[in-house]
Amino acid sequence: MADRPRPPISRRRLLQASALGVPGAWVLSSCARAQPLDSPAPAASAGGGSASAAASLPPLTEIPIASPQNPVKWPINPGNEPITSGLEPEMNATLRVYNYPDYVYKRVLKDFQAEYADYNVKVELSTFNDLPEALTKIRSGSVPFDVGFLTYNYMGKLVYGDLIRPLNHDYIPNISDVWEEFQNPFYDQGWQYTVPYTIYTTGIGWRHDLISEDIGARANPYDVFWDTKYAGAIAVLDDDREVIAMTILRNGGTDVNSGDPAVLGQTRDSMLEMLSVSQPRVTITGYTDIPEGTMSLSQCWSGDMITGQYYLPEGVDPGLLRYWSPPTGQGVIGNDFLCVLKGGENPVMAHHFLNYMLKSEVAMKNLSFVGYQPPLRSLTPEAMVADGLLPANLAGAIVKPEWFQVGYPILELPVAVEGEYQAIWQQFKSGG
Amino acid sequence: MPDRTSRFIWPILGLPGIVWIALFFLVPLYVVFCVTFGTVDPIFRSPVPAWNPLEWQFEQVVVVWDRLVGPNNFYLPPVLRTLLYVVVAVVACMIIAFPVAYFTARYAGRHRALILALLVAPFWISYMMRMLAWINLLQPDGLVNSIITLGGIIPLEVNWLSGNPFTVVMGLIYGYVPYMLLPLFAALDRISPSLIEAGRDLGASGFELFRRVILPMSVPGIVAGTLLIALPMMGDYFTSDMLSKSPNTSMIGNLINLSIATPGQSGQAGALLILVLLVLLAPMIWYTRSNAKAEVRS
Amino acid sequence: MTVSPAPAEALLSEAQEPGRDRAPRGMSGARAHGLAAITAVYLLWSLVPVAVVVLFSFNAGRSRSTWQGFSLRWYTWDPDGSVINDESIRNALTHTVLLAVIATAITVPLGVLFALALDRWRGRLPAGANFLALITFVIPEIALAIGLLFMVTYLATPFGLGTTAQIIGLVTFQLAYPIVICRARLLTISAHYEEAARDLGATALGAVRRVILPMLFPAILVSAILVFADVLDNFVLVRYLSSDASTETTSMRIYQVARAAPTPALNAMATIILVVSTLVIVVGWLLYRRWSKRQGESTDLSSFAGNL
Repeated sequence: MADRPRPPISRRRLLQASALGVPGAWVLSSCARAQPLDSPAPAASAGGGSASAAASLPPLTEIPIASPQNPVKWPINPGNEPITSGLEPEMNATLRVYNYPDYVYKRVLKDFQAEYADYNVKVELSTFNDLPEALTKIRSGSVPFDVGFLTYNYMGKLVYGDLIRPLNHDYIPNISDVWEEFQNPFYDQGWQYTVPYTIYTTGIGWRHDLISEDIGARANPYDVFWDTKYAGAIAVLDDDREVIAMTILRNGGTDVNSGDPAVLGQTRDSMLEMLSVSQPRVTITGYTDIPEGTMSLSQCWSGDMITGQYYLPEGVDPGLLRYWSPPTGQGVIGNDFLCVLKGGENPVMAHHFLNYMLKSEVAMKNLSFVGYQPPLRSLTPEAMVADGLLPANLAGAIVKPEWFQVGYPILELPVAVEGEYQAIWQQFKSGG
Repeated sequence: MPDRTSRFIWPILGLPGIVWIALFFLVPLYVVFCVTFGTVDPIFRSPVPAWNPLEWQFEQVVVVWDRLVGPNNFYLPPVLRTLLYVVVAVVACMIIAFPVAYFTARYAGRHRALILALLVAPFWISYMMRMLAWINLLQPDGLVNSIITLGGIIPLEVNWLSGNPFTVVMGLIYGYVPYMLLPLFAALDRISPSLIEAGRDLGASGFELFRRVILPMSVPGIVAGTLLIALPMMGDYFTSDMLSKSPNTSMIGNLINLSIATPGQSGQAGALLILVLLVLLAPMIWYTRSNAKAEVRS
Repeated sequence: MTVSPAPAEALLSEAQEPGRDRAPRGMSGARAHGLAAITAVYLLWSLVPVAVVVLFSFNAGRSRSTWQGFSLRWYTWDPDGSVINDESIRNALTHTVLLAVIATAITVPLGVLFALALDRWRGRLPAGANFLALITFVIPEIALAIGLLFMVTYLATPFGLGTTAQIIGLVTFQLAYPIVICRARLLTISAHYEEAARDLGATALGAVRRVILPMLFPAILVSAILVFADVLDNFVLVRYLSSDASTETTSMRIYQVARAAPTPALNAMATIILVVSTLVIVVGWLLYRRWSKRQGESTDLSSFAGNL
């Protein structure tokens, strides 16, 4: 009926097509974005265009790394001044909030909407699975996120990537309730860009009826991840920095941000050993897996077991949940913060939101769901225990202020070292 | 009498489709090449694509190649694992689908329409929903454990979702077997019953009939079905993610998915992707050409 | 996830000869029963888990594996979690249906036109494009998703990540369906009809509009249904091309929540989408029946299923 089909691709056609390649490439390169969606906009805005505007930011060869020994006061990029005081919040705003899943109580968001009902604000929560993904989406500029729940080892990228808006402190009087440390944190001197959200330690959580031993009683509790005894029933966090840090600590090191090739090589080998010995899952969902019994033990953050009480199936005793972190505070310690993202359309409302989250009743209500402790003076550990938020079996989950002097925060890394860490993580996640 | 414009109507009708495919299929693939063979911004580690093929650099490919065959070739285990899972899953799908397709084609009789409809049903039931179904069933206190322990009597409980490769392969089989069924059914359906009768009249036993008549004639269907599920399976990452979350069951798709979201690694993801596509290129072209022939034949 | 074009045509040709006798004579009873048993077990294995998902969407408690009584809680009255009260679920449902409608509305006309052109226009350009469209059937979806993600990120496209990008990706991925199905059907439509119309004075375009398109109706209908159902279910493309919570679909929702803290509300959401899919299929079947009755062709389920 029809003639034989000509071969879809003949050699001549292929050559013709590839000859189109070079002019085609020229066409494409002229169509390319001046600034790819996932790379930072130049610090000087196109509108000013004057030589002075371009020169006011130091030439960037390396982003400064903030640490407790080296606190950093970030520059305020020209063109990115804080909003002026006394502005009214935007009307009919959709406040876009970007966070981990299950890391803020939705009722608290609804209450915010109710409190600012005069402005007809709607809070829309989007979630990310891990921080690199979050950063990529924020950079892409596709969504005008207003508020980000992020962590301090990305501060440099946020500031120099022009992704974050400096705060006008007039809108955030509740900061006075925050612990002293966080009114001048090392990662953001003078709290120019951030307000603290939660504090936490990283440790080990488990269900006592599935794992009867007291993990904390071991000489080296982190060794449980290299123990064949619980193979197949354990998990580590889906967070490259956390797993690497834990491995370094397990091997006796104390610099969880080490760039030493020997340390990193040893860490890589240990992590691969862990894979073959105990076959861990890699997930941040310990706060549901352990209560449900899908996992018996997991590396987790201090709030996970507290919030885990909420996810227990009916009939399981909440007293079975346990958490351990180094009792001297010499473990991984950290905090998350709230910030106003530059791409957002509602900066004034975002400031109000930050202030709202620092209110002690709100923080308390939020804590009852997420389980993580906010660094507020009014929320002492005694108050938490008295209010039943912190059961006795989870007393180890409290974060003490003095631990911030001795603990090991996870810091931003120099670019080359970061590449090394990523390679280790990739290898780990490939299954060795 | 054909009017002058009639010759141009067909190209005009076809042009939107061609433009669309060029713009949204070819160009994206070319962009992947440009990103993979481009460079990386030193400060923010975001990829800088190289549009001109003459400026292409191959360091990302070298990195990926090194991780495949070099001294520290940690990409190799997921690649081998993927191949293993795909082969096992395809064979299992074949073993499951063949009898079912055969039954529907030859023995279903009056109920054929109904059975076909039921077989086709998974196509419009969301893949995610079907995976969700299994996550629920495989919970420690789920139906599967209840059944194999006979309600808690026999201590045979298995933790299915703890990174068990068996679970992942079963998930793949469950997800893709309907896509094997239809091509097999079509091929078996085409076998004329008179051929079977003739074989029987000539004294062939049931088994010989199968081996010498039915099996050879169903080969196009087998091959079509195999390609139709093996190729997409190569890029699958969500099955392992949902049913396992363990690095010990990670597939090539997981590697690509991990690299894409990590700053500075998009080029590597692109390189991996290109490598995968190169490997799959021959089967893909073969499949499409055999389809073109099939079109003509019918 | 796709259907191979070859069986679609084979089934179509089977539909054209409904009278062909199918039952082989002298079939072995034992073998038939054995195969029937296997088929029954397969159907159970295939469909019972889905039925369980639907069942547990009506669970009175929070568990998705332990039955705690019947309730409409997760559909209506649970204050935080139900489909009506949980905004993320509502958004996912509406966005999914929106994507399906728009993507189908673009894909089907584009594909039908292209199939028409392919049928008459010989040449390397259309053959090449046809070849590429067929490739989209078998290329791993992640390849297309990443390609489009890169394209949106690095080229000055007038749109960014989000609904527009998702629709474009979906159309590209599904374009092969109408092309293949309509082409297969066109091959069986004799050229005589069109010639007759032209002899009677119709222009080429008119012949297409008034003769060929009506005859193509079942193929167009079937491709629309397939595309719609497939888009409802799509995961990889929409996830890579999504921007924020307002561009999430139900499959993304299931993927994200199933790994964290799912409640039966997730089952409820999946059940709703299942109902939507089923409705679309049923409506399509009814339309097909009406068309067939008017054309005098076979109206039974097998020819419709055959077209699928």
